Amino acid sequence: MTRVKVVSVFPDLLGTYGDSGNALVVSKRLALRGFEVTLLEANLKSGVPNDGDFYLIGGGEDGPQARAAELLTADKPLEHALSSGAALLAVCAGFQILGASFLGPDLQPRNGIGIFDCVTHRFEGPRSVGELIVRPADELGNVGLLTGYENHQGVTELLHGAQPLGVVAAGNGNNYGTKVDGAIDGRALGTYMHGPVFARNPKLCDFFISLVVGSLEPIDDPDLIAAHENLYLERINQVIK
Amino acid sequence: MENSIIGPRLRFATAVARMASWIVRTLNIGEGAALPGKVLLRIYPDAIKDLSRSLPTVLISGTNAKTTTTALCKEALSGSFSIVSNVTGANMEEGIAFSLASRNFLAESKSLGVFEVDEAYLAVIGTRMETRIIALLNLSRDQLDRVSETRMTSGKWRAFLGASPNIKVVANCDDPLIVYAAQVSPGVLWVAAGLNFRQDARSCPVCGGEIEFSDSGWTCSCGFARPVPDVKVEGKKVVFGGKTIEVDLGLPGQCNVANAAVALGIASLLNVDLDSAVRRMSQMTEVAGRYKRVAIDGHSVRLLLSKNPAGWLEVFDMVGDDPSVVVGINSQIADGRDPSWLWDVPFEALRGKEVVAAGERAYDLSVRLHYADVAHRVIKDPLEAISACQGNEVTFVGNYTSFQDLRKALDGSESPFLNSVRRLGERIFR
Ligand SMILES: [Zn+2]
Repeated sequence: MTRVKVVSVFPDLLGTYGDSGNALVVSKRLALRGFEVTLLEANLKSGVPNDGDFYLIGGGEDGPQARAAELLTADKPLEHALSSGAALLAVCAGFQILGASFLGPDLQPRNGIGIFDCVTHRFEGPRSVGELIVRPADELGNVGLLTGYENHQGVTELLHGAQPLGVVAAGNGNNYGTKVDGAIDGRALGTYMHGPVFARNPKLCDFFISLVVGSLEPIDDPDLIAAHENLYLERINQVIK
Repeated sequence: MENSIIGPRLRFATAVARMASWIVRTLNIGEGAALPGKVLLRIYPDAIKDLSRSLPTVLISGTNAKTTTTALCKEALSGSFSIVSNVTGANMEEGIAFSLASRNFLAESKSLGVFEVDEAYLAVIGTRMETRIIALLNLSRDQLDRVSETRMTSGKWRAFLGASPNIKVVANCDDPLIVYAAQVSPGVLWVAAGLNFRQDARSCPVCGGEIEFSDSGWTCSCGFARPVPDVKVEGKKVVFGGKTIEVDLGLPGQCNVANAAVALGIASLLNVDLDSAVRRMSQMTEVAGRYKRVAIDGHSVRLLLSKNPAGWLEVFDMVGDDPSVVVGINSQIADGRDPSWLWDVPFEALRGKEVVAAGERAYDLSVRLHYADVAHRVIKDPLEAISACQGNEVTFVGNYTSFQDLRKALDGSESPFLNSVRRLGERIFR
C-alpha cells in the first residue's frame, strides 16, 4: 500500500482542544515514510466517508459532541471502516461518544456508537484538569510512558473487562479511583490525553500507523526526532520531578 | 458624589488596598491591582457595588481585543467624560474592585466608568455596577482549562442580558455566539466587526446545525442569521447610517479599525461627537506596551501579544514585512496550562521568515513548527532569542505572561528574588 487516506472526523464539531494536530502528525509521519497521503477534513457538510485508513476524533463541547454522536450512529462510517482494516483514535469527548452511552448537554444519557464497552457519567467533584501520565497497556508494545493533558468533567467506566489504553501514573484518566486511561479494542484507541497526544508521543503515533500498514522504517529527520525528544522529556520531568 | 456614602469600614479597606498596591509597585513585584484588590474584597466584600455608586458604566467583554477596545473607547470618550477605568488587564473582580478604590470621588465631574471584563465575570460585575452599556466583541477558544467553554459563556450572557433590559448592548453581528447572547436585549447596536477565526462558530448555538458563512454574512437553516449591521467597516472607513468616518489609526492592522468601530458605536450611544472621538483615537500608538516598536540590541522590535488562535490570525496581518519573528509561549495560570491550542494556529503563514521559538513551552512550539514546515531555532530566553535574530526588524509575539516578562526585562526590573516574592504573595492570596 502506498496511498493512504487520513480522515479528521468533524473538526467543526470536535476540534476544540488542538486535537486536529493528531491528523497532521499522522499524515506527516506517513509522508516521511514515502506514503502518498490524502488528509481529509470530514465536516458537517461533507459527512464522514467509510473508505479511510486512519480516523481521528477530538474533544469538544457538549452540544456539538451530541450532534457528532447522532450523525456517526446514523451512517456507521466508523464501524464500516474499522471492519475493513482502518485504525481510529478518539480523544476526550470523541472517546466518550465511542462508548455505549455518554451525557448530553442536558446531562441525560445518550446512546453512543458502541465501539468501546464503556459508559460515561458526570462526576460531581472537581473537573479533571492537568498533566496526565499513562503506563501503556502491553498491546501497545514499546511506546514508553505516555504524556498528555486532560480536561474533562465526565468520568468513563469500562465494562465487562474492556481493556484500558494504560494505567494512570499521574493525573486522573477515565475515573477517580480506577486509575486507568482510555480504551483499546483492536485498531481503535480512546484516551483523555490532549496535547495533542500524537505530538506529545510520536511512538504512540507510529504504533497507530503500524496497525494499518505494518512495521515502519525509522524516520530520517534528526531535527524532528530531537524536537520530539526534548518535548517528551521535558513533560515527563515536569510531572515526575 | 459625597464622600459620606463611603462608610468607615470601606474607607479603611481602600486605604489598606492602596497601601498594598504602593508596596507591590515600589518593590516592583506585580501590576499593582490584583493582589491589593483581593485584600480589599476580603476586608469589604461589597466593595465593587459601594465604590461604583452613581458611576454610569460601560463594560467591554469578549475573548480577544478587550484591552485594546477599552483603551480606544477611553480615548474616544475622554473629551466628554472624566473616565474611571481598569488598571490594564486587571479584568476580574479584584482588579475592578481595586481600580474603583483608586477613584477620586471629590475630583470627579461628569464621570463615566469604562471597564474591560473577563468573559466569566460579566454577569457578576454587570449586576453590581450601574451598567448602562455592554459591548460584546467575540467568543472563541482560549485558555480552556481556566474559562469554560465558549457556548456556555454565550448562554450565560444571554440569560444575564435577557434579565437586564435597561442595559444597551453594542455587539459584533459577525460572530454567531455574540449574536446568540445579545439578541435577547431590546436595543442592540450591531457592529460588523468581523470574525477571522470561525472554527468555534460553525455549529449553530440555537439548533446545533451548520452555520453557512458567505461574503454577505451567515445563516442557519433554523432561521438564526446575521442581523443587519448598524455600523459597518469598509477598509479604513466606518459607516454609520448615512455618515462615513475616515479612521486612520496609529495602531496597526485591520482588526484595530474594527475595534475603533465598536468604540465609535459606544460613543454614539453617549452622544459624543464622533469626529473628535476619531481624532483622539488616531493619536494612539500603543496600548499597555502592545504594538509599539522598541530598540533591543540593535533590532527594531514590534511587541505583540497573542494568546489564542483567533488572536494569531490578527498577528499574521501585523507581522508584515518584518523578516524575523520571535514567538514566546508560556503556560502559567494566566496563559492557560495547556498549549494544545498551538495546533489550531496556521503557523504555516510564517514559512520563509526567520523564526525563533522561545518561552517555557518553546519545545511544544518547536514540534508544532516542524509539522508546519517552518524552519526555526529554539532559544528559550526571549531577549536572547531577539538578540540572535539576523534580521533588523523583528516582531515579538508573546502570550500573556511571556509578553509581560519581556516588558519587565526591558524595564530592567526583572529580578529572580522579587519574582519569588511575587509568586509567594500570589500563593498566599489565591
Ligand atoms: Zn440553527
